[in-house]
Amino acid sequence: MLETEKRFVDKLKTYLLFAGPTTLVFVTVIILPFLFGIYLTFTNWDGISKAYTFVSFSNYKQVFQDPAFWTSFLRTVKYVFWTVLIVNGLGFFLAYALTGNTVKGQNLLRTGFFVPNLIGGIILGLVWRFIFSNVLVFIGRTLNVGFLSYSWLANPNKALWTLVIVSVWQYSGYMMIIFIAGLSNIPKELLEAATIDGASGFHRLRTIVLPLMVPAFIVTVFLTIQRGFMVYDVNLALTNGGPFKSTELISMHVYEKAFLAQQYGVGQSQAFFLFVLVAAISLTQVYFTKKLEVEV
Amino acid sequence: MASITISNVTKAFGDVVVLREFNEVFHDKEFVTLLGPSGCGKTTMLRMIAGFEKPTTGEIKIGDRVVSGAGTFVPPEKRGIGMVFQSYAVWPHMNVFDNVAYPLKIAKRPKEEIKRKVEHILEIVHLSQYAERFPMQLSGGQQQRVALGRALIAEPSVLLLDEPLSNLDAKLRESMRFEIKQIQRDFGITVVYVTHDQTEAMAMSDRIFVINRGVIQQVGSPTEVYRKPANQFVADFVGTINFLRGEVKNGRIELAGLGQSIPYDGIYKGKVVVAIRPENMSLLPTDKASLTGKLTRTFYLGDVTDCRVDVGGGQYLRLVADSRSYDSLTEDQELTVYIDDFLVYEDDGREDHTKIIT
Repeated sequence: MLETEKRFVDKLKTYLLFAGPTTLVFVTVIILPFLFGIYLTFTNWDGISKAYTFVSFSNYKQVFQDPAFWTSFLRTVKYVFWTVLIVNGLGFFLAYALTGNTVKGQNLLRTGFFVPNLIGGIILGLVWRFIFSNVLVFIGRTLNVGFLSYSWLANPNKALWTLVIVSVWQYSGYMMIIFIAGLSNIPKELLEAATIDGASGFHRLRTIVLPLMVPAFIVTVFLTIQRGFMVYDVNLALTNGGPFKSTELISMHVYEKAFLAQQYGVGQSQAFFLFVLVAAISLTQVYFTKKLEVEV
Repeated sequence: MASITISNVTKAFGDVVVLREFNEVFHDKEFVTLLGPSGCGKTTMLRMIAGFEKPTTGEIKIGDRVVSGAGTFVPPEKRGIGMVFQSYAVWPHMNVFDNVAYPLKIAKRPKEEIKRKVEHILEIVHLSQYAERFPMQLSGGQQQRVALGRALIAEPSVLLLDEPLSNLDAKLRESMRFEIKQIQRDFGITVVYVTHDQTEAMAMSDRIFVINRGVIQQVGSPTEVYRKPANQFVADFVGTINFLRGEVKNGRIELAGLGQSIPYDGIYKGKVVVAIRPENMSLLPTDKASLTGKLTRTFYLGDVTDCRVDVGGGQYLRLVADSRSYDSLTEDQELTVYIDDFLVYEDDGREDHTKIIT
């Protein structure tokens, strides 16, 4: 009995020595605020004053009754849907085209497509704001192209697409890298065997490559969904929610509620609700796609 | 007609020439083996026939149709051949039935025809009861049979096999050899088989093409290649052989360093290499030739005993014979080895032909 205890204490000491500091930071900076935040969702704190009272579930009731929240949420769903679709489609297309040495300068192109991912969200948003309102408009007016002549950022119907475009530009390269790894994992002989059996390039893609790429898609779809729902920096820098709140996505809405409208409790409830929702979507996605996975 | 005509094919990767001036015809319904050590170019030749590589110069025809040549290239999917890979290359995400049915599905055959043909092929390769299983649930030998079934189902006229039995254990290799040969006979297909295992080559082939460093060393039936090897490389690579250096003098070959000689009435003069197969030596007296030596080591292999005899000058001969005749011998015993048959080659001075056996 004593020996097992001793071994456990020894293990604990080693753990604390190596992982202790990091665990401490993680718990204090992320876990504790998270738990405290959940506690605050049951209060009416305004984010500034010292006093607040317990209001039980009324904040959550407000979440479901706040039309602005739901509009923003649906808007975000629309944004996530298109972003996930285009990022994965484009990322896979780039990976497929830039594997197998068919294109000259393959490595350079791969690097080029990946670089946008390295630029921080705020800078990215500001640069593209300039492109949308100045560069494209200039081109549109000079060449007399109708739909480019007025800044998309000023058009409530088109502004959401600017966000999609920028996110696609930002993330396609990153997903491309993941897909390249997945493609490289497919043994060449599997594709050669399909060729010998008469399969054309497209047929091989459909029947051999895509089924064996499912593990890669599990990862990329999960990442794009999660990042899509959590987007804030690009949202802020590119459109700041405008024009007329037509591009205020859900993270921005929560921020407004909690800090600017000084309804911290409600804001945090919305945030927590968002967390549960995104976690549920992501876990469901991983669960179902994992069923399609096959060992090579 | 499914003959394969290879005319003046050379293949180079950059500066490295992998195959030189390959000029041969594989006849319709023939079982041809490309035999050689790793890196000799045999797999490259196979891949050129399949269409995965293009010849640097030269032309390849399947039947009367040019498939690779100046200005023409027929891609692999249009050549109408079957291929079995060393790693089997069965698709892990499809079951056995779908794997074997794949070529027919691509050809858009009707469902009933596919079902009928797949079941027929599965019977031939003895996998009928595994139709619903996935490759990861099968053993290596079973996966190899899936690959074989898949290659045969589209009824190709040519079947290419790239060291298909290398990953299987010894007993399975033996039975698969027989099965493949049987299938080839029953289906009447031309087979090009690539291997470095000369036992496989000898057991299955109608003709063997022995290749070394991109150059064909000899073409012949298994008997010809084994009993009359064209040069020292073939003699050494196919089967085991003992090499002794010597010089022709007065109707005899004086063996260097041994102080012994054997009678010789052949055409070579000057420095030569004598090549003797282990099974052509025995302790039973013949009047052809003999050497004296000391028995240094025996290895009991069950059906035969492998012996080392020190004949002097630091040289050893390796004999192989029926175990029981060696039971009465002891190590370090002086004895006379009688030679039934030997080959002679000109000595080109290269060291890598002389075998040093421990």
